[in-house]
Amino acid sequence: MSDTNAKITEEIRAKARELLSSGEIAAFLGFTSGSLPMTTRPFVAKRPGDADKLIWNSFCVMNLANYLPALLESLEPPRGPKDPPPAGPLPKVGVVATGCCSRNIVVQMQERQVDRSRLVILGVSSRGMVDRKKVMAAAEGREPLKVEEGGHTLKVSGRDYELEIDRWSAVRDNCLTCAHNNPVISDYLIGPVSNRDVKDRFAQIEAIEAMPANARWKWFTDEIASCIRCYACRNACPLCYCPTCFVDDSRPQWVGKSTEPADTALFHILRAFHCAGRCTDCGACESACPMGIKMRLFTRKLSKDAFNLFGAEAGLDPQAQPPLATYRPDDPEEFLIVEEKK
Amino acid sequence: MEDKNLQSGTNLAASPTANWEPRIVAFLCNWCSYAGADLAGVSRFQYPPNIRIIRVPCSGRVSANMILDALKAGADGVLVSGCHPGDCHYISGNLHARRRFGLLKNFLEFLGIEPGRINFSWVSASEGEQFSEVVKKVTGRVKALGPTRRLVKEIRID
Amino acid sequence: MNILRLDINGLLDCLSSWAGGQELYGPVKDGWRRISRDGLEAVVSIPPGAPKAPIKTFFLAQPETLFTFSARHGDDDAWIPTPPKEAPNRRVLFGVRPCDARSIALNSMPYRDDPYYQARMDKTAVVGLSCNETCSTCFCKSVGGSPYGTEGLDILLTKADGGFIAEVLTSKGEGLLEKGTGTPAGDGDMARLKALRDAAQAGTSDTQALSASFKAKNLMQLYNARLWQGLSEPCLNCGACTFLCPTCYCFDIQDEVVRQAGRRIRYWDSCMFPLFTLHASGHNPRGEKIKRVRNRFMHKLKYFTERFGALSCVGCGRCIRECPVNIDIREVIRDLLSVE
Ligand code: SF4
Ligand code: SF4
Ligand code: SF4
Ligand code: SF4
Ligand code: SF4
Repeated sequence: MSDTNAKITEEIRAKARELLSSGEIAAFLGFTSGSLPMTTRPFVAKRPGDADKLIWNSFCVMNLANYLPALLESLEPPRGPKDPPPAGPLPKVGVVATGCCSRNIVVQMQERQVDRSRLVILGVSSRGMVDRKKVMAAAEGREPLKVEEGGHTLKVSGRDYELEIDRWSAVRDNCLTCAHNNPVISDYLIGPVSNRDVKDRFAQIEAIEAMPANARWKWFTDEIASCIRCYACRNACPLCYCPTCFVDDSRPQWVGKSTEPADTALFHILRAFHCAGRCTDCGACESACPMGIKMRLFTRKLSKDAFNLFGAEAGLDPQAQPPLATYRPDDPEEFLIVEEKK
Repeated sequence: MEDKNLQSGTNLAASPTANWEPRIVAFLCNWCSYAGADLAGVSRFQYPPNIRIIRVPCSGRVSANMILDALKAGADGVLVSGCHPGDCHYISGNLHARRRFGLLKNFLEFLGIEPGRINFSWVSASEGEQFSEVVKKVTGRVKALGPTRRLVKEIRID
Repeated sequence: MNILRLDINGLLDCLSSWAGGQELYGPVKDGWRRISRDGLEAVVSIPPGAPKAPIKTFFLAQPETLFTFSARHGDDDAWIPTPPKEAPNRRVLFGVRPCDARSIALNSMPYRDDPYYQARMDKTAVVGLSCNETCSTCFCKSVGGSPYGTEGLDILLTKADGGFIAEVLTSKGEGLLEKGTGTPAGDGDMARLKALRDAAQAGTSDTQALSASFKAKNLMQLYNARLWQGLSEPCLNCGACTFLCPTCYCFDIQDEVVRQAGRRIRYWDSCMFPLFTLHASGHNPRGEKIKRVRNRFMHKLKYFTERFGALSCVGCGRCIRECPVNIDIREVIRDLLSVE
């Protein structure tokens, strides 16, 4: 583990232990180590002693905001569906949040999914998380049995091989173009803050836009061809909290259940569109996908347009309205057909 | 209103033939565009019979789900039309919708859906003639594109 | 049972004739792909472990059309189900790992009377490739299998001494080999095979031990174990584990009507999804995540084992590798065994 990670881990543990011991929070949401190299598990510490299981490294790729609404609810005293909300302050939750995760918390605040006063946020400036699929690709099919993180390198080793790769070359696509790696809200800041100056934030999207329509259609259908409709992308996403997702609607049934091309395409289009103006490009969807589908490119296009057309970026200001929940009288409308009165 | 053509069972995604005529689903808001369509009829402004009108309370009611559902069912084109800005019966339904439609149109084109498959317009209750012009324009666009294939759900029965 | 020795050219000849005479599939880059005659080299050297895509796609089609019908009023045959005309093609699956092959055998127990599954079984010959090398996530041996296991296979190939030892296990397997293929295996080959098998099995006392332990466990104690809470907390309730798992076979059925053409399809479903158990009344007996996670493991380890005598897990390790939050069934097994 790199020194920075070790230090951040220590600080997270200490703070979580302190908050749990003092009773300020009832639970602390962080990461613990997984059973394989390059895996981590979201983890809820409920006793001060659990804090030692918390860790921090470049493989903390899930977005913890995803767990917050349910976790907060689980800590409320039980009540019937028609009972009024309990009076008095409710138990709080501590959570580690990088830039994107903190922005998703802001989105959840805007959408009334979490109550800021019940959160204690430990902000961590992200150095960019590592994409284990990229590391696997660098290992060329050989199983990585151990992956050690250095400051700027990853040491990968397995049966009969050892490999050192540049850390940045294995960083996730979304992290490469992230301009908000520092938490936008937090109660405590953990570890060093690093600022990034990212140009070409939408270069990946522009490259696709530059292709002819038929090539784009081919790109899109090829990209999603191996989708197994497991919905890991949806379920990993902190924006997806609808009690009944459109994929489960049966009357009308918006999306067929098979993995035939039209069904899969509609699933991806609508999933992405439901995230329009709300997606923080946290990359959890892409990291969760077992099939390596780059569905982030879909949401990224929508973020690009929301930014260019409405000047909106998701999750920066708790007071702001999500761009699709508001309007300006002078919003662009060149795409509309308007016939002049004769 | 039952649409005999939609019920006929012919394959909407049929191959283009000499007399192929596109089918265009038009979501029209109750207060402006639907009334505009009505006025077009009453005033005898001719427009191509390719559209199948679905009346909705407001253009703001039309979601991406509904537009895509029409394409999935084999519609060759979609038109969504509502009140001009400022005229919305619900004050801002059309303005909210405008943002949504702008994003959706760009997004579908980004994924390779042909520009012109989905169309948006403002038509007021007094714009019968304009309504017929919009329908002519949209029908022309869709005709030029040919039958829809992308996103169409197919079931083969032997 | 017939045991042959094949050299690489002999194997390529077999593959070539299968690719020509029927459909040949093999694991290519994590997926099962149709192999043409020009692509044979790719499948003879496959990486260790089971490929990401599960073998069940060949038996539980995604979707399986159960029947079609016309939904056009006035048609003579409107609403009358017509069985699908298209019979599955004959095909050979090559390079199947013993764990995956075993999953075919296990799944065919609950699907014993299912005509669709059985029709696909009948048309499919399975040629396995044993595992001289394993992955860190492989645990076939703990759950009753073996890297050299033969269950569910028609032929098992083992790489040895620059060639292959082919164990022809069934008459379907016999049928796959043209007369004069290979040479009868010698005593040396037999000894070699036995040595490999014994070495793989060294240290594992009884392959049936785990299913016996689970059968002996009290169901309600497992059901009410405390570990489910912590275990289910990180779970996303996605279907990645169950959809990739070769032994998860649950399905849903639905009628689809598009432009008055209708069909009834069967497609994969997962006990991880709330919709899986949602009643029409709105009640959901497995409404909470913890119950769904518990069901997945209880089904694999306890319910299936009681009903069919073996665990519904072949130890392929897919779910461990692909779970976005790394829920590891080996840990679950270990923890459940210590439940008192
Ligand atoms: S869509 Fe993907 S990138 Fe966007 S917020 Fe959801 S999980 Fe994160
Ligand atoms: S996670 Fe991947 S495979 Fe699963 S539904 Fe999403 S895109 Fe498809
Ligand atoms: S689990 Fe066993 S049979 Fe399957 S790939 Fe691994 S070693 Fe081979
Ligand atoms: S165990 Fe893992 S793969 Fe399975 S549903 Fe939970 S998160 Fe998804
Ligand atoms: S439960 Fe996991 S290890 Fe067992 S057969 Fe299924 S995917 Fe493989």
